[in-house]
Amino acid sequence: MLKIENLHAEIDGKAILKGITLAINPGEIHAIMGPNGAGKSTLAYTLGGRPGYEVTNGTATFEGADLFELEPHERAAAGLFLGFQYPVEIPGVSNLQFLRTALNAQRKARGEAELSGAEFIKLARKEANELGLDPEMLKRPVNVGFSGGEKKRNEMVQMGIISPKLAILDETDSGLDIDALKAVGHGINTIMRRPDRAVLLITHYQRLLDYVKPDFVHVLAAGRIVRTGGPELAHELEREGYGQITDEIAA
Amino acid sequence: MTLLALPSARDEAWRWSDLSGLPVIADSTPTGQPRAIDDLWIDAEGPRLLFVDGVYDASRSNPGPVRVGPANAHAGAHAIGKLAGSTGWALTLGEDAATTGPVQIVHVSTGGANHLAAEIILDEDAQASIVESFVGEGWVNRAASIRLARSARLMVARRFLHDAGFQSHADTAEIGQGASLAITTLVAGAADSRLDGHLALTGIEGFAEAGGALLGRAQQRHDAAFVVRHAAAHGQSRQLWRAVADEQAISSVAARVEVARDAQKTDGEQSLRGLLMARTAAVNLKPELEIFADDVKCGHGATVGELDRNSLFYLASRGITPAEARAILTHAFVADALARIGEDAVRGAFTATADAWLGA
Repeated sequence: MLKIENLHAEIDGKAILKGITLAINPGEIHAIMGPNGAGKSTLAYTLGGRPGYEVTNGTATFEGADLFELEPHERAAAGLFLGFQYPVEIPGVSNLQFLRTALNAQRKARGEAELSGAEFIKLARKEANELGLDPEMLKRPVNVGFSGGEKKRNEMVQMGIISPKLAILDETDSGLDIDALKAVGHGINTIMRRPDRAVLLITHYQRLLDYVKPDFVHVLAAGRIVRTGGPELAHELEREGYGQITDEIAA
Repeated sequence: MTLLALPSARDEAWRWSDLSGLPVIADSTPTGQPRAIDDLWIDAEGPRLLFVDGVYDASRSNPGPVRVGPANAHAGAHAIGKLAGSTGWALTLGEDAATTGPVQIVHVSTGGANHLAAEIILDEDAQASIVESFVGEGWVNRAASIRLARSARLMVARRFLHDAGFQSHADTAEIGQGASLAITTLVAGAADSRLDGHLALTGIEGFAEAGGALLGRAQQRHDAAFVVRHAAAHGQSRQLWRAVADEQAISSVAARVEVARDAQKTDGEQSLRGLLMARTAAVNLKPELEIFADDVKCGHGATVGELDRNSLFYLASRGITPAEARAILTHAFVADALARIGEDAVRGAFTATADAWLGA
């Protein structure tokens, strides 16, 4: 589904990603862990196409297409979803309007029929209920006045409505209490744990992986994937910290 | 040749306006062929008045309590407002009287210049709502005098939508004890504009609100200059302006709050925000406070910027095209100012007008 080869990227001329190679197949959940400053968020933003994140070398192929040839909104329409560590507040735009515009823009780009207002509201309410977000919050401006947990649940509601092929979730677990963490884990499992979908889960801690069992765990340090293993690797990191790995790189 | 004595950019109060084109516009001849105006009537019960090139069209009006004829706009001291003359329309409501629904006035111009005065006098506890729309081409110049007695309430909403020419309007208001005046302006056409207001809170516990949205593109210049003067204690005022400029447009707002020595416990607030849609556009914001009383609360904020890049990327990451993302965020920026309009039908119509401009 997603094939990254030798990816190098920089921000403001500063090299952050220094040769990442990674393949994600349908049905797989990959976790990327690593210390602060390793380049985890940069990887997510580079794949999402955020302005300012410059690809200097390497390729990324998504469903057979050259990902870096697509504009950010085209990547979304192709089935890529980027979950934000800090979802943006947009005063003056209701959640419902935002999501309906987004979904219909994607459907239009894929040549599918747009959803009517009634059809959309039904879908949005179902997803909100499923994820424990008060459906009233759909009427409020996007993320304005939402708590950290509500913002992340809102990201999951968006993911449920948009129903992507591949979700790249950037530290979706940061700043969550245990209930919100469970809700987010439940959201990822119900929406994305399917044979035709895949997830790239970026996290600093192993906690979320108690709820979302990864098939592969990669350790990112200093812009490279330095180790890859199964779920047991996450536990090892939790026990021993990143110190040993970063020491190995330094050596 | 009309002899026009106009202020120039050398006058501080007019430095952002360009009136140099007015003599030529004023000398042109109206075509007398007004554009269709049916879409400008808002679906709401109430009086309706139509002026074509400044001339009242009785056959297409239903004036209700509004009288067409002499009107004193008290604009003698205003450089352009004084040209509005002493005829136009007047609305006088006695104690406790109220208009049924908003008074809608459509001004359509076909070229040249037309001037009208307006006078609005509300007695104690009277209530009125006025909605004006300006369309067409040529120079439309208006001046209005507003006097509100104790606890009277007036809401004014104006749309300036000229395709060409120039639009100028000057308000002078006296707001009595516990009275309330709210003026909301939307400039969303293709012609330059100059809007002036001098609102004086002369009775205690008065309320004044002046604000709106100036939307500019091409080489348009829009300039709003409003002064709220607190002459009595315990007054409240709000000035909320949103200025948008695209291409080579210049949108400017000067908003001043004056608090006289005796106007203790005044609560004045200003929020001026500018949005630059292109690096070649300009927004000027000038918040001013002049305070002679010592126990007042006056807050002001003025910011100019581009659309937030984080928000644009967030929308894009959900599949929304760049053009649509810009339209959504600009709409949200403007919506703030139009949200102050009380009546749903009027607010809806103004929002649709702004959306049409943003989508164009």
